[in-house]
Amino acid sequence: MRSRHRRITAAALAAVAVLGLPACSTVLGEQESLADATSLTVGVKTDQPGLGLEDENGDITGFDVDVALYIADRLGVSAEDVEFTGVTSANREQKLIEGDVDMVVATYSITPARKTQVTFGGPYYVAKQDVLVRAEDSGIRGVHDLEGLRVCQGEGSNSAARITEGLGISVRKTEAPSYSACIEDLREGRVDAVSTDNLILAGFLAEDPSSFHLVDEPFTDEKYGVGLPRGDIRGCEAVNDAISRMYQSGRAGELLDTWFGEAELKLVKSVPQFEGCV
Amino acid sequence: MTSPDSDQARRTGARERGAAARRRLDTTPARVWLLTTVCAVAIAGLFGSAALTLGQARDGLDVLGRDGPQAEATTELYLALADMDARVADMLLMGTAHDLGSGREEVQKQYEASRTQAGKALLQVASLIEGDYVEKCKDVEECNVRAVLAGMGAYEEWAAEALLLNDEAQAPPGRVDREALETYLRATRLMHTELLPKAFNLGLDSSASVRANHEERQEAVTIGLLWVGAAGAVTVAALVGLQMYLRARFRRRFNASLTAATAGAVLLTAGVVLALVTSNGHQHDAKEEGLDAAMSLSRAGAITTDMQVYESRYLVDPANADNYQQVYLGWAQQVLSRPANNLEAYYEAVDEVAASYPDLPGPDRPDPDDPDPGTLGYLGRSAQEALLPGQGDALAEVLGSYNDLQGEDRALRSAAGSGDLAGALDIRMRVAHIEDGTFRTYETALDELIGLHMDAFEEGIERGDAVLAPWTWTLPVGTLLLLVLVVLGVRPRLAEYR
Repeated sequence: MRSRHRRITAAALAAVAVLGLPACSTVLGEQESLADATSLTVGVKTDQPGLGLEDENGDITGFDVDVALYIADRLGVSAEDVEFTGVTSANREQKLIEGDVDMVVATYSITPARKTQVTFGGPYYVAKQDVLVRAEDSGIRGVHDLEGLRVCQGEGSNSAARITEGLGISVRKTEAPSYSACIEDLREGRVDAVSTDNLILAGFLAEDPSSFHLVDEPFTDEKYGVGLPRGDIRGCEAVNDAISRMYQSGRAGELLDTWFGEAELKLVKSVPQFEGCV
Repeated sequence: MTSPDSDQARRTGARERGAAARRRLDTTPARVWLLTTVCAVAIAGLFGSAALTLGQARDGLDVLGRDGPQAEATTELYLALADMDARVADMLLMGTAHDLGSGREEVQKQYEASRTQAGKALLQVASLIEGDYVEKCKDVEECNVRAVLAGMGAYEEWAAEALLLNDEAQAPPGRVDREALETYLRATRLMHTELLPKAFNLGLDSSASVRANHEERQEAVTIGLLWVGAAGAVTVAALVGLQMYLRARFRRRFNASLTAATAGAVLLTAGVVLALVTSNGHQHDAKEEGLDAAMSLSRAGAITTDMQVYESRYLVDPANADNYQQVYLGWAQQVLSRPANNLEAYYEAVDEVAASYPDLPGPDRPDPDDPDPGTLGYLGRSAQEALLPGQGDALAEVLGSYNDLQGEDRALRSAAGSGDLAGALDIRMRVAHIEDGTFRTYETALDELIGLHMDAFEEGIERGDAVLAPWTWTLPVGTLLLLVLVVLGVRPRLAEYR
């Protein structure tokens, strides 16, 4: 008799355990989210003036850095608990996937293909591809005037293809190791134009306003997103909320003026259309 | 002052009282009473935790069932605003040829209908915020609503002014008056930098709060499940304890009532747990396969509406045609994404998707070694996850009509590119025709598909409710039965001591 009761009890407990388990694991296995972070490691670019540039002391400054600090603050992480580390266009995904960084704010364009690997908050700004020329070349007023001219793109970039394939304008594409190198080539007359996102160009322009001229005839939309580990929906929504507030409070406008105000550029100071977290 | 004597007396008294209590507990009837009380309390605990958790599960379903469709409706705002802008651009394109396409008067009516719709949708969004919606980002949403409301007024003024200027200038079809164009560009820029992004973000906000609410409630139910399980185990243990005590004390082999009560407690616990798990599953399906899928398709519709604006603007404002064309491609990639660097390649890719469906070009899952990320975007994802009955056909319709839309776009740009403005205008008017335009066909197909998902949503909620419904009476009746069985089990034994 005793053993019979034991069997019933054991069966009952087993039933509870088995039935409760799948639901239980959703609680116990709740995903780690940026929304709960107490400190953050943020990946930023280190070679783009105005966006993310490392100085000789190893400090990184720029619009992306300030945006990251604002977001961190809204998430309840104070500036001293935010660590910045350099990422490149080539290793951003990998660093995020491997957990080396918690968040990437590095002129990171949201694309459908990237969304299969990364969850994007934002965009926090919609940059547009534009053209930078030497100050004296005032004849170049739009991308169509580049026909037959030498246009430099940074290694691994796709910007020239957007002109040749996207718009069907035949330019002579040259490639340099980075956009900084492209800018040098432009200054020295080895190329006629550099084409990439207007914020990047505006950053270079701000460093040397007398040498260059921004055409300001944008032709594509580049949605700069905040890269998060894939699936962190709660974190993504918290980031979007922070970005909304950054624009509503006027902080975004101030930051844009601080970093790009010098360039002759139409800055959009209202919140961009978000991509959605799922 | 108390004397040592009285202290002593009190201590003795206390000791005696304690001893008396122990003696009383030492008696068999007292122990039976105690064990019976423990059983009754455990059963009450089982009832309490089960009732509470079932209540939470029901609330969760109610809230999702109520908020889900409201959140889905927030995409209406974006859709209506984008439609307004597309209609204004089309009316400017018509110029003096008021009989083009649906005719100026009809388009004007449609514009006004969309404006009314936008106003209504905005009020609805506003009411969502003032209600018990998320506290957290209250001011973000509120500010967005206010900004959209203010911006709509400004937009309408500029749009009306642009149309008036164009009419006064007697602009021929396809050649918008310069001043009218400048005014319209102000309006459409306002629409695209201030109104549409905020409207879209408002929709995302409401999805976010539905998701947060849903997850919070599902978690609460899961924790409740553990409590029910624990209470069930305690009840069974108490009943078994009572049974064993009675057997040892009264040398009875078997107490049928208590055995039945034990079995009943097991059944009741397992039943409640099973109901909660099943209902949670239905709720989850309603959310993911129903609501989320419907919302993402609604967004596809909203973005495609905005693509209409960019198609029209391509003709309205040739100076910025490059940018409009690229933005059109960008939005298109959000709706249905295939690797394509320009519109020509995109048209081909969309055609391939429509032709090969239900097979989809590219890998099913993105593979880091494969440069082709697969068929993505709102429609691509919907096609990959197609699970609902009848969804395949509806989706084929949507993809087919989306492909038609791209085919017309291709013809329009090719006509405009070769200088055939009248031909391009004809195509634009055909696409935008209010009754049977290419865009209308697409919208209808999409609405059908969205309807399927919303049906699945409602069905999931109903199923979840149906699983829980019998427990409103099963739980109290079952609990009562357990108590009665316990009483029946111990009463004859206690009677032996009367």
